[in-house]
Amino acid sequence: MKSANQPLLSLKGITKRFGALTAVNGVDLDVCPGEIVVIIGPSGSGKSTLLRSVNFLEEIEEGTITFEGKEVGYVKNKHGRRHLDTPQKICALRSEIGMVFQHFNLFPHMTVLGNVMEGPLTVQKKGQEEARHIALDMLAKVGLSEKRDVYPATLSGGQKQRVAIARALAMRPKLMLFDEPTSALDPELIGEVFDTIRALGKEGMTMIIVTHQMGFAKEMADRVIFMEAGSFVAQGTPEDFFANQMEHDRIQSFLSRIL
Amino acid sequence: MKVLCGRVIRTILLFSCLLLLLAPLSRAEDTEQIFQDANDAMARGDLPAAITVLKKVPFSKTDDSGAFVRSRMQVARLQFALKDFPAATASTKEVLAVYPDNSEALNFLASVQKEQKPRYVVFWEDCLRFLPNLLKGAVMTITLVFCTMLISPLGGLLIALGRISRFKPFSVLCWFIIWLFRGTPLLLQLFFIYYGLPSLGITFKPFTAAILGLGLNYSAYLGEIIRGGIQSIEHGQMEAAKAIGMSYGQAMRRVIIPQTYKRLMPPIGNEFIALIKDTALVSTIAMVELMRSADQMFNAYFNVTALILAALIYLVFTTFFTFIFEKIEHRAGIYEIR
Ligand SMILES: Nc1ncnc2c1ncn2[C@@H]1O[C@H](COP(=O)(O)OP(=O)(O)OP(=O)(O)O)[C@@H](O)[C@H]1O
Ligand SMILES: [Mg+2]
Repeated sequence: MKSANQPLLSLKGITKRFGALTAVNGVDLDVCPGEIVVIIGPSGSGKSTLLRSVNFLEEIEEGTITFEGKEVGYVKNKHGRRHLDTPQKICALRSEIGMVFQHFNLFPHMTVLGNVMEGPLTVQKKGQEEARHIALDMLAKVGLSEKRDVYPATLSGGQKQRVAIARALAMRPKLMLFDEPTSALDPELIGEVFDTIRALGKEGMTMIIVTHQMGFAKEMADRVIFMEAGSFVAQGTPEDFFANQMEHDRIQSFLSRIL
Repeated sequence: MKVLCGRVIRTILLFSCLLLLLAPLSRAEDTEQIFQDANDAMARGDLPAAITVLKKVPFSKTDDSGAFVRSRMQVARLQFALKDFPAATASTKEVLAVYPDNSEALNFLASVQKEQKPRYVVFWEDCLRFLPNLLKGAVMTITLVFCTMLISPLGGLLIALGRISRFKPFSVLCWFIIWLFRGTPLLLQLFFIYYGLPSLGITFKPFTAAILGLGLNYSAYLGEIIRGGIQSIEHGQMEAAKAIGMSYGQAMRRVIIPQTYKRLMPPIGNEFIALIKDTALVSTIAMVELMRSADQMFNAYFNVTALILAALIYLVFTTFFTFIFEKIEHRAGIYEIR
């Protein structure tokens, strides 16, 4: 059933509420294999919540998530109420979707190599040698081979984020989610992280990236989405988006604040 | 005239004979009087006066009432009581000079000589006398400490995981255990387990009861400490672990709990130091450990050295454990050093 233009990920009517607050409000999104989607939007608009919902770190109230053509993640109990699938299923799904956080969240008690090996070793139950091999490959990819034996505390922010990317990549994910990967970095360190992401894009990795770096969005994105108050307000190719959607007041005022 | 002279001489001779006959008798009376005076002086608390009086008892070869020996030994004891050990020795030797085999004098001389030893020698000898028993007790104390140190971190971890578990019955049970064992005295818990439970048909050997009481009590305390440690780990760590596909258990085991070690070492070290001393409480449920041994020695000899020694052994233990825990804390946090 798999066809070239079948979306890898398909979100339909995703709604997430925190009490009275609707953080994500009926979002639809199709992401095709190899596509790079960049989501922008003001703080509190629900970008993180949407990404986290894709990875089941947030349990959504409404909507469906279809991954590789199969609706996943939620089942109905005998009373017809839906809830998260079994932990095993959720873990299996998560291991196919990589996620990179704003604050890196490296495991401080493991060396750089240990961080990257952890997924293959513990989750995929690969042997020590194989896991090590994979991890070294990934570290080479992010250009940090020589840092493999140090602890994260000794790394710069940019290096930390690259290790975090390598850690996610070691699971060989089919989709990568980036939640403001450069927001916690000094300006001069942003470049090295984007270089790494750019290289991933060239390899054909499917990615959803939340960022405030418009230059990067223009350069890399296949599609730019503007999100506000839990909904997608506008979307289009970068050329389209930055040329035409600029008419949109809200986007304009947002961009003028950012740029 | 000659006749008169003869009578006078005869009378004198007769008197002197009588005197000679009476002499021993009158001396016996004197001796009793001396002892009486000495007793009076002692009753007044005037020991030097008693000594002076007693020394008046003369030596006599024909004396078979033992008054001389009695008086000199009494003098020696009084001098001993006054801590005049050389004088006491001299008085005893007076007796031994005449009766070299007198066992009372020989024993007394030995104890006087022991008193004359420097204090540290006496202390050392007491140590040697008490140590075997105290060390036997110390071995039991250490056994109790080690068993509790093995049980309570595991129990504590279980209780901590229970407290943060979303499964209500488990978390309520763990809350209850903490509430119960932190809210009542350990002594009472030990009494209840050892003396109270038998009336419900559950009987434990003292050792089992001790381990049970200490283990549960310390598990409850460590449970709260470990829970605090787990919850102090930044939330992003759990998310990052989940994001690479780890289960809750894997994330706890591989990511969260290892990061708590360094933070937990100081408070857990504190608890274990307290534990070393809390083991003394099990002496109340028929366990012979260090405190009980020291108490026994102290009561048997009324010698404070036993207590000092026990304190020193406790200090050795607590110092050793403090040192070990500092080392472990340093090792556990090695990754934080830049
Ligand atoms: N766990 C939570 N409990 C309650 N409210 C939450 C929670 N997480 C997010 N929210 C709320 O949901 C809304 C969307 O938050 P979200 O973090 O997704 O925004 P964002 O677009 O990522 O913003 P930012 O650019 O600041 O990261 C916000 O109003 C936030 O306060
Ligand atoms: Mg966010």
